[in-house]
Amino acid sequence: MSGAHAQSEGSHAGIRVKGVYAHLDEMLTGIDRLKKAGINGFDVVAPLPRHEIEEAVYEGQPSPVRWWTLIGAMTGITSGLLITSLTHMDWPMIMPGGKPVVSLPTFAIIMFECTILGGAMFTLLGMIIHAGLPSFGLDKAIQDPRFSDDKFGIVFTRASTKDADRIVDLLRGSGAIEVTTGDDTIYEVPNV
Amino acid sequence: MSAIQPNVHPGANGDPNRPALYSSANRDILRVMLKPTVLWAFAFSLALISMVIGGYCWYYQVIWGMGYAGITHPTFWGVYIVDFVFWVGIGHAGTLISAILYLVRSRWRTGVYRAAEAMTVFAVMTAGLFPVLHLGRCWQMYYFFPYPNQRQLWMNFKSPLMWDVFAISTYLTVSSVFFVIGLIPDIAIARDHATGLVKQVYGLLALGWRGTGRQWRHFAAAYGFFAAFAAPLVLSVHSVVSWDFATANTAGWHSTIFPPYFVAGAIYSGCGMVLTLLIPMTYLFKWHDYVNNWHFESLAKMCMLTSAILTYAYSVEYFIAWYSQNPYEQAIFYWRATGEYAWAFWLMVFCNCIAPLPFYFKKVRTSPVWLFAISILINIGMWMERFNIVVSSPAHDFDPATWGMYSPTWVEWGITLGSFGWFSFWFPLFCKTLPAIAITEIKEMIAPPMKGGGEKHA
Repeated sequence: MSGAHAQSEGSHAGIRVKGVYAHLDEMLTGIDRLKKAGINGFDVVAPLPRHEIEEAVYEGQPSPVRWWTLIGAMTGITSGLLITSLTHMDWPMIMPGGKPVVSLPTFAIIMFECTILGGAMFTLLGMIIHAGLPSFGLDKAIQDPRFSDDKFGIVFTRASTKDADRIVDLLRGSGAIEVTTGDDTIYEVPNV
Repeated sequence: MSAIQPNVHPGANGDPNRPALYSSANRDILRVMLKPTVLWAFAFSLALISMVIGGYCWYYQVIWGMGYAGITHPTFWGVYIVDFVFWVGIGHAGTLISAILYLVRSRWRTGVYRAAEAMTVFAVMTAGLFPVLHLGRCWQMYYFFPYPNQRQLWMNFKSPLMWDVFAISTYLTVSSVFFVIGLIPDIAIARDHATGLVKQVYGLLALGWRGTGRQWRHFAAAYGFFAAFAAPLVLSVHSVVSWDFATANTAGWHSTIFPPYFVAGAIYSGCGMVLTLLIPMTYLFKWHDYVNNWHFESLAKMCMLTSAILTYAYSVEYFIAWYSQNPYEQAIFYWRATGEYAWAFWLMVFCNCIAPLPFYFKKVRTSPVWLFAISILINIGMWMERFNIVVSSPAHDFDPATWGMYSPTWVEWGITLGSFGWFSFWFPLFCKTLPAIAITEIKEMIAPPMKGGGEKHA
């Protein structure tokens, strides 16, 4: 299911449709019905991460951020090993007590810290890239302050004109408290 | 002060008393932002004045030299290192609450973790000043960092001091990222409740966050990984700090019990500091629905556990000194309890082993007055513990001919005061500019609005 990828900027090839929900289960019903009708290309918007939404929209597709984490941690541990051993081999002084030049137990601590640092920084990078941050250009219909408060939403930023009526009916039928199309989707209040 | 709302204990199924609606969480928490009160301005000015005093003392030390600090032969690690270890330790409870309790799905963390995490970042920022402050030539602090310098020399990665540089800088970086990432959705809420310039500033800080499915999906995945990284990191940081001492062949320091003993002490002092900060905050901001006896009691229980570990560690140190039959080890431990620094030792024992004992009574650990008073003692006790460790061992080394007493000078006290000022400067700023309770995570604890009777969902 490739639902929530339609993050449009500016020009509209299709029509905007927005459904606002007061209840989580009704929005899930909406997602279900849209999927069953074979309609894709919508964004879901919610004030909090709910696993039900993730399961409904991204069924069986774990976030690829985990690969960034793995690569970052591996890069980190390798850099930790290289920076310590190469610099010590560059100046191969035998310390009093006869410790080896490349002494893994002492370098393990630096390697551990580098693993954490590399893993965390790559995770951050992965999250920023995959979540599309900064995302100032999100469609105006998505930029609805009610969605950070207590409402849930299903937003089509470019629904095809022939589907628009069906979508409106589906959203209404699933219990949306407000369904708007076109420029009416833009919710303008200075302060909520 | 009476006990905080006695009816807000967790219910039968462990649920705390919470607002029923998502929207009230937004409004209750944002209510206090950007509205400085007289009391807030007073606390903030006090912090500023302390910072100025500390800054002047540092200036004085830089201009006139390290002679104005009391550190001299044989004690070259004085109050600056005590302060360093103290502040690093304070940070630990924040990460414990935000990362470890997140991974074990402990529900009480939600109300307090944002403030605790902010405390971590500010405490590590404070600790990070001290390696620079205790340098005679502070402008050469860049020698700490690994870079190919013009002398073709690299630092000694076998030195615990280098481990410390890596541990502390990684800790500061990772805990700051963890803190800031968690803030993004909440800043977006603040943006949506603001107008004018404030809205634009929060809008910029929120990075255009709108809570789309795509954003939440990657956010939730990344957040879990940050927690998973922060949890072992926090345990490593104070272990590494303890190795600054334990790897030295100095009586009283050279001990394998140091890492767990330091980590337990760090969490003990951090939980104490969280109590010190949160109790007044809860009262000032009237946040009883979000932070209440449930949280305070849980923090008190953490203090009870870690205090017991500390008491055990102190006893084991004495037992091993006796059991090892090592005269130097025995001498230093005998001297700590009976010598010139005995006052610091007994103050430490009182504050860390005896003062938290009343927490065994539920009445005490649910009374904000008692909690606050004991939390202050915990802070004092943990500062004294570090003083007791850092100062006494070099002052009373192997050879009696090298013995000497150390006492901090006004410059060192001034810089210590300044460090409290620096820490207290950031915290009130944070409370007024960012949501000090994690709104989104509070919402996760509220039952989602359900119409009921919807179609079945996988």
